Amino acid sequence: MAGAPPLPQPSGLRAWLLSAEPNSRWQARLGRGYLGWRSFTKNPLAVLGLGIVVLLLFVALFADFIAPYSPVIGGDLRTQRLLPPSETFWLGTDDQARDIFSRIIYGSRITLFVIVLVSIIATPIGLLVGTVSGYLGGWVDTVLMRITDIFLAFPRLVLALAFVAALGPGIENAVIAIAITSWPPYARIARAETLMIRNSDFIAAVKLQGASTPRIIFGHVVPLCISSLIVRVTLDMAGIILTAAGLGFLGLGAQPPSPEWGAMVATGRNYLIDQWWVAAMPGLAIFVVSLGFNLLGDGLRDVLDPKAAK
Amino acid sequence: MKRLPKFFLSAALVATMATSFSAVQAATPPDTLVHAWQIDDIISLDPAEIFEFSSSEIAGNTYERLINYDIKDVSKIYGEVAESWTVSDDGKTYTFKIRQNKKFASGNPLTAEDVVFSLQRAVILDKSPAFILGQFGFDKNNVKDKIKQTGPYEFTMETDKAYAPTFVLYCLTSTVASIVDKKLTMQNEKDGDLGYNWLKTHYAGSGPFSIRDWKANEVVVLERNPNYEKKAPLARVIYRHIKETATQRLLLEKGDVDIARNLNPEEIAAVSKNPDIKVDSAPKGTVWYLGLNQKNPNLAKPEVRKALKYLVDYAAIADTIMKYKGEVHQAFLPKGYLGAINDNPYKLDVAKAKDLLAQAGLKDGFSVTMDTTSRPETTGIAQAIQSTFAQAGVKLELIPGDNKQTLTKYRARQHDIYIGEWGSDYQDPNSNADTFAANDDNSDNAKAKPLAWRNAWDPGPLTAKTRAAVMERDAEKRAQMYEELQKAVLDDGPFVIFLQKIEVAAERKNVDGFVMGPSFDTNSVAQAKKN
Repeated sequence: MAGAPPLPQPSGLRAWLLSAEPNSRWQARLGRGYLGWRSFTKNPLAVLGLGIVVLLLFVALFADFIAPYSPVIGGDLRTQRLLPPSETFWLGTDDQARDIFSRIIYGSRITLFVIVLVSIIATPIGLLVGTVSGYLGGWVDTVLMRITDIFLAFPRLVLALAFVAALGPGIENAVIAIAITSWPPYARIARAETLMIRNSDFIAAVKLQGASTPRIIFGHVVPLCISSLIVRVTLDMAGIILTAAGLGFLGLGAQPPSPEWGAMVATGRNYLIDQWWVAAMPGLAIFVVSLGFNLLGDGLRDVLDPKAAK
Repeated sequence: MKRLPKFFLSAALVATMATSFSAVQAATPPDTLVHAWQIDDIISLDPAEIFEFSSSEIAGNTYERLINYDIKDVSKIYGEVAESWTVSDDGKTYTFKIRQNKKFASGNPLTAEDVVFSLQRAVILDKSPAFILGQFGFDKNNVKDKIKQTGPYEFTMETDKAYAPTFVLYCLTSTVASIVDKKLTMQNEKDGDLGYNWLKTHYAGSGPFSIRDWKANEVVVLERNPNYEKKAPLARVIYRHIKETATQRLLLEKGDVDIARNLNPEEIAAVSKNPDIKVDSAPKGTVWYLGLNQKNPNLAKPEVRKALKYLVDYAAIADTIMKYKGEVHQAFLPKGYLGAINDNPYKLDVAKAKDLLAQAGLKDGFSVTMDTTSRPETTGIAQAIQSTFAQAGVKLELIPGDNKQTLTKYRARQHDIYIGEWGSDYQDPNSNADTFAANDDNSDNAKAKPLAWRNAWDPGPLTAKTRAAVMERDAEKRAQMYEELQKAVLDDGPFVIFLQKIEVAAERKNVDGFVMGPSFDTNSVAQAKKN
C-alpha cells in the first residue's frame, strides 16, 4: 500500500491531483494543496503579495551580493553626503554619506528577523493560551482570558514602548516587546475556534477512547486552529513591521548604525523638505512590504478559512 | 429635523473659522519679535537657580548684573549696576559703588541693599549655580558677614583668598549674580524661602525687558521695561517653543516667526538662499568633546587616549554635519578666552593611530561603548566618529538615551565614552581649567565632581597648577599658565575635544539688532528692532 504512489492516470498529473478517489493520504493532501493553490492564484493581488514577500526573502538572503555598498560605512562626508538618487547611488545617500539602497537591502534582514522571531514567539503562546483556556473552560479559562484582556486593554505600541523602556533599547528587546504585546489576539482566536471544536462528535469520540487532555488539545484541537491563526499572523505581520519601525523611529528599536527602516525614516525627517529621499525611500520599503503581507494574508484567508464563502 | 438649522449654523461657523485662520497669514506685529526655539530646558526663572541655556539667555535680557563684559571684546569689563570698584591691597576685599537713580521694573529704586540681598540670597539658597559665588569662600553661615552693605550705594565683599581680580569680577558677570528687587521678592516670601517659590515663575528685575509670562514647553513672553534707562525699541519679545527644526524653518519662511534658532545645516543652507532671510552666527564659549572614562582599562592607556585623538575626522565633521554650527577646536579653552590656544595639532591619521594602538598592545583594536543623547546633532557626530574609529579596528557601540539618562550615567562614572557639550559658567579661563585640568579627589565619593573626576582622571600636578593660576594676578603670566595646562591636557588628557560651538540664527530681513554674544547668556534683544 505505502510506497510509490500509483502511476499518473492518462490525463496526467492534474487529474491525479484532482482525483475524487485518492489512493493515499498523501495524494489527498497534495490534491487539497493544489486546489488551494488554484483558488489562491485566481486572486492576482494575493499573488502580488506573495511575490513581494518572496522578493523580501530573496533580498534578505542575498543582501551581500545585491547591495553595491556597505550599509554602515559611509563614503566621503564632504562629497557624498545627502546626494539625490543617481546612477551611482540608486536611491541617494543619507547624512552619513551611506548608500540608501544598500541600507534598505540590508535592512530587509532586520525586518525579516523581527517578523520571524515575533511569529515564533507570539503564535505558540497565543495558541497554547487560547486552546487550553477554551478546552478546559472553568476557572482556567477565566484566569487566562482576564490576563489576555489586561494585555488587550493596552494600546500595543504604548505597551511595547513601556517594555523597551524597561528592558533597554535594542532590536532584541524590541522583538520581545512586540511579541509580548501581540499574542493576546491569537489567544482570543484560538479560544473561539476551540469552543466550537470542543463539543464536536469527533472530540467526544477521542475522549471515549481514553485520550488524555493534552493529547486531545495538541493532537486534535491545535491542528484545527492553526489555519485561522496563520491567516491572522500573516495579516498581523504588517502591524509587526510598523511597530518595529515605530520603535526604531522613536530611537528604541534597532540602534545606529544598523540600517533599520524605521530608524532611517527618523533620521530622514530632519532633511524632509530638501532631501526628501532620505526618509521617503525607507518609508516606501516599509509601505511595500506591509502591503505585501496584507495582500498575502487576504489571499490566504480566502484559501484557508473553511468558513469563508464557498 | 429640528436640529438641522443648528447643524448648518455650526458647520458654517467652523467653515468661517477655518477660512479666516488661513487668511490671517500676516507677518508678526511690527513691535513684537517672535523667536522659534527649543526652550524645553527651562526649569526656573529665579536667577539664583537658572543654570540652563535658554533661561540664561532670558535672564540676560531681563536682569542686570553688578558687572558685565563687552560682548565684542570679552576682556573689557564694565560696571552695569556698579559704578566703580576698588580692590584692597591684600587682594581680598572688594568695595563696590552702585549707580544711583536706577529703578526696577516694579518702580522700586535699586540700591546697595538689593545688590547685597541678591548675592547673599544666591549663596543661601544654594542652587546649582551657587558654587560660582561660593568658590570665594562664601557659605550660608558666613555670607552675611562677608558681603556687607556699607552705605546706601556702597558695599564690600571679602573673599577668603587673594584671587586674581579678573577671576572674581568675571564670576560676578554670571547669571547667578543678577540683581533682584528685594522689596518685591520679600513681599512674596513664604516660610523664609527668600521668595524662591514665587520667583521661580515670576520676575523681579531691572533689565531692558520684564518677563510677563512663562508656560513650560510653550512660550515665554517678555515685555518692555519702561523704567530701563535705554528704552528697548520693541514692546514685546516672544519665545515660542518649536521642537521640530523643519517646523521652525517653515514658520520662518512664512513669516510667522522672526527668528529661527535651531535649524540644522541643510536647513540653514536652504534658507540662506531665500532673499527674505539672513543668517547670523557667533562662536560660543562651548566646546564639544568626548570624555574617556579612565576606569576602562583600555582607555586608561595613554597610547589609546592619544590614538583616539587621531581617529576623529575633525575637519569633515566641522564642514558637513556641523557646518555653520561648529569650528574645529581642540584645546579646552574656547577661542576668545584668556590664554586660549588655537593651533589644533590633531587630525584624522589612521596609520598613526594604528601604531599607537599597537604600542598599547591592542593591534587588533578593541570594543568600547559610547553614551549618546538621541538629539540628531549628537547622533550624527557620534556615527561619524564611529566610522572613523572603525578604520583602526576600534569597535564603537552607541548607547542612545535622553539627556537626563546619559548625564546621570556620566555623573556616576559608569560610562566608557561620553559625548557632549561643555559650556563655561563664566568668562574666566578658570571655569574650564577647573573642570578639565583639576581634580582634587579622584575617589568615588568626592565632594567636587569636575569633568576630570567624571572621567576618573587624576591630572596629577595639573591640579596644583590650576589652583596656582587662579591666584596669579599678572594677566600675562596667568595666560601662560593656562597655555601650559591646555597643552598638557591636549597631550595626555582623557578628553577628545573636537569643536567649538557656533550659534546660528536665521532671521527675517527686517530684523535688526539681535546680537549674539560669546556666551549663551549674552544673546541680546535689548536693542533689537524691526524695520
